[in-house]
Amino acid sequence: MEAQKEAQRIMTMSVWKLYHSRLQRGGLRLHRSLQLSLVMRSARELYLSAKLEEAEAGGEAPCTPEQSADPGQPPPEERAAPADCAAAPGATEPMETQESGGEPALAPASPGKRPARGVSLPGAGKGSRKRRSSSLDKPGAAEAGLAPSKKARLEEEAEGERQPQGQDGPFPSLAKVLQHQFAGRLRSGPAKGPDPPTPGCRPGDGAVLNILVRAVVAF
Amino acid sequence: MEEDIDTRKINNSFLRDHSYATEADIISTVEFNHTGELLATGDKGGRVVIFQREQESKNQPHRRGEYNVYSTFQSHEPEFDYLKSLEIEEKINKIRWLPQQNAAYFLLSTNDKTVKLWKVSERDKRPEGYNLKDEDGRLRDPSMITMLRVPVLRPMDLMVEATPRRVFANAHTYHINSISVNSDYETYMSADDLRINLWNFEITNQSFNIVDIKPANMEELTEVITAAEFHPHHCNTFVYSSSKGTIRLCDMRAAALCDRHSKFFEEPEDPSNRSFFSEIISSISDVKFSHSGRYIMTRDYLTVKVWDLNMENRPIETYQVHDYLRSKLCSLYENDCIFDKFECVWNGSDSVIMTGSYNNFFRMFDRNTKRDVTLEASRENSKPRAILKPRKVCVGGKRRKDEISVDSLDFSKKILHTAWHPSENIIAVAATNNLYIFQDKVN
Repeated sequence: MEAQKEAQRIMTMSVWKLYHSRLQRGGLRLHRSLQLSLVMRSARELYLSAKLEEAEAGGEAPCTPEQSADPGQPPPEERAAPADCAAAPGATEPMETQESGGEPALAPASPGKRPARGVSLPGAGKGSRKRRSSSLDKPGAAEAGLAPSKKARLEEEAEGERQPQGQDGPFPSLAKVLQHQFAGRLRSGPAKGPDPPTPGCRPGDGAVLNILVRAVVAF
Repeated sequence: MEEDIDTRKINNSFLRDHSYATEADIISTVEFNHTGELLATGDKGGRVVIFQREQESKNQPHRRGEYNVYSTFQSHEPEFDYLKSLEIEEKINKIRWLPQQNAAYFLLSTNDKTVKLWKVSERDKRPEGYNLKDEDGRLRDPSMITMLRVPVLRPMDLMVEATPRRVFANAHTYHINSISVNSDYETYMSADDLRINLWNFEITNQSFNIVDIKPANMEELTEVITAAEFHPHHCNTFVYSSSKGTIRLCDMRAAALCDRHSKFFEEPEDPSNRSFFSEIISSISDVKFSHSGRYIMTRDYLTVKVWDLNMENRPIETYQVHDYLRSKLCSLYENDCIFDKFECVWNGSDSVIMTGSYNNFFRMFDRNTKRDVTLEASRENSKPRAILKPRKVCVGGKRRKDEISVDSLDFSKKILHTAWHPSENIIAVAATNNLYIFQDKVN
């Protein structure tokens, strides 16, 4: 749980720094932006893997319909989560089928087989995306001025393609290591029952994640 | 670390003393010239200040060659890129001296986008006895001139003037991080985040691109160039470091575009040290060839590493600069200190290496004896001709007297830029807006 909070805090901090780096004198610094986006990605991976483990330990049902319903705008974190989850039967997304063959070692301890379900995003269509962007403050404002970016999605696809080849790309292995490190802590969490925040809060989490991920924009 | 490591007596003097720190005065680069007679500093305000070493005089033997201000000039001004609506900072990122070939001194200074070649020359005579103007420079009434005279050169007070001889502009899309003069003294290179360009000193309107790591699709960008340097003797060889902690050595004879390296230096990562910030702290902030040309030294956030050019799979030496910060990386990320780019330097004989840290501390590592020392550049601790006392950071447990705990470190006082005299034990340390010069006193 703390890992999740920490990861979220770091993600938020990274977005804030990315946004403010645009305002500084001398313009956007490529190196700094790259570093910030790397940290944000690591934090996001951890956050998602932590959430996934929690969800699996909680024994929730997979929510494939949402993913298949929105192939045009698959939330990037849904694609990130496959990096961490076990082989998914009946997976609708091509990435998952690729990974199920390639990375069984990444399966979390729990035997639950389900597709990416790191975050549930009710109404992952365009309408709710707009609503989320406008309702949030700074991270949202950062997004408001930007054209929708395909960067995050392309990156996730690239990551997914790399994995079946058995290569340890930087992010999957980091997730693996962090997962291993935090697995002990997380296992105790879900045993207590559902999260203190009600499921109704979850869209908020997902919304922030969605915005955060899209903040990793090409500059 | 024993207290008696530092048995040298050290002289010091203070120059550039300011009562308050204005941002424009923050020193951004320090560099000795090839003889050590001159020391140049660049600051955030785009100014260059050159210090010259006093000639040693028999009358005052204890004033052993102190450095005094020789010349000050505005090298770069703030500019505006209208196409991208971006301000271009005037901060001097690097200064590199050219070897002296005549009475004048030449140096290269660069900001984010433009490199300039400056000529610094002395004038100690001036012509007097003009026909058309009088001694004050006012034009004389032509009707009053009745005879012709030849102007003569008369001695005057020494004046040092700096003139921009070349301006190398418009060659970099990204921010220039390094410049390096080739050993052929005819060419130099400038490196930005994604490209390295080769220039001829005489030609300002074009340069050759020799390294280009920009991916076709910017979304696939994974690493940037962080520093580059030419080999000190082989004019065809240079190295560049990356944000991923790797160093590539390139040979310009192999191909016109040196995207493919001749050697690739990378140390496998220690998996036990993995964290969110592993990638950031492995980014190399500085790379320097040894004077011999046999080794390269790299600085990342927590360590300094020495590599043998003949061994690519790991460094031959690794020195921990401030490992006690490893557990504080999250806070350092928060306050942006984790992005600080520290430089590192060799001494003249390549036996000692030096780099900066926080709290105005800087560290020296003796490669032969394997001893290291932490010193502080601060006014309180340094009276003229006083010995610098070694400092120690307490990492946990009981704090001894005179030790400073990690939590008391002042992270706003960072030493990013240092320089070592090419042949003597004189070091220049830039602490924000103050420059400290420490000398070895030989009895």
